[in-house]
Amino acid sequence: MTRSAQMATQVLAQSGDSRIDSYLGRLEKLLAPMAPDEKEDTLCEIRAHILDSTAGAADRDAAVDRVLRLLGPPEELAARYGTERMLTRAARSFSPWLLLRTCWRWAMLGVKGMLALILAMFGYSIALALTIAIFLKPFMPTVGLWLGPYTLQVGTPNHPELERELLGHWFVPVMAVAACAIAVGTTHALRWMIRSRAPAPLSALPGTTLPGSAQI
Amino acid sequence: MAINTDNGERGEHWEAQLRKGCLEMAILASLWHGRLYGLEILRSLAENSRLEVAEGTLYPILSRLKGEGLLQSEWVEAEAGHPRKYYWLTAPGRRRAREMAGTWNEFAAKLAVLVEPVVAGRNGGGKER
Repeated sequence: MTRSAQMATQVLAQSGDSRIDSYLGRLEKLLAPMAPDEKEDTLCEIRAHILDSTAGAADRDAAVDRVLRLLGPPEELAARYGTERMLTRAARSFSPWLLLRTCWRWAMLGVKGMLALILAMFGYSIALALTIAIFLKPFMPTVGLWLGPYTLQVGTPNHPELERELLGHWFVPVMAVAACAIAVGTTHALRWMIRSRAPAPLSALPGTTLPGSAQI
Repeated sequence: MAINTDNGERGEHWEAQLRKGCLEMAILASLWHGRLYGLEILRSLAENSRLEVAEGTLYPILSRLKGEGLLQSEWVEAEAGHPRKYYWLTAPGRRRAREMAGTWNEFAAKLAVLVEPVVAGRNGGGKER
């Protein structure tokens, strides 16, 4: 154990009242997805903050109530940690799965998150559909890029007599390049959106109220 | 009147959004002169910029800024009481703070010119409805 971690643990060793223990107990369960070291560090920091905020208060009960209210319910505090952590990881990641999961969570916090989720689902769905078409081509030769009187579609023709295939033997390489380009473009656009995000307001989380109009 | 109440709420909402937008810069700026722990950062924001930040907002942001490499932290033994987790700016954090402060200054200066007649209450020639 590092010296820093030892000192952090000293904070946990100091017992507060039952409300603090109960709050931190609930928070600990909710922070389960965190790495153990990071979770312990977070719990120690929150407990240290509660101890600092209530030290020397004339009415300690009221001081504990106030600081727990300002921290917010453990569910919301854990959700904020989870979202911030996921957004930080996603901003550096090229994993479509992580980016999709992050956008799903981010979408619950505001309009920009919702737009990112729509972009992610749209972009990755098209890339996936083109990839499936490439793998189907050897087994279904009619799969191609078909141009009809009013349509342009990837797949099998609905009215072969009215439509003509545009790519022939070039279908697989062209679709492979298109699928890669769309997937990479979507990934870069999502990373840019995540990196340029503003901090999510506490009030955007379900069930949270701002303690005062000037308070963030 | 309902309209006034609505405008009042909008005004408060706008002010809260404005403050939120500045929060990351304010946190980085509060650490410009040295290391602070969470409660000191909150007090510094409240005293120097009137930013009343809820604890539940601050700590996850500190965690993210640390994850992004803008802050570093360490537990430090106190002379009295328990150890505290201090934060300080890394080199990229200082660069980011400088960039944000520069952008803020430029933006504020330009906006100040625009709103100066409004603040002074000069008549712009339009009719109030």
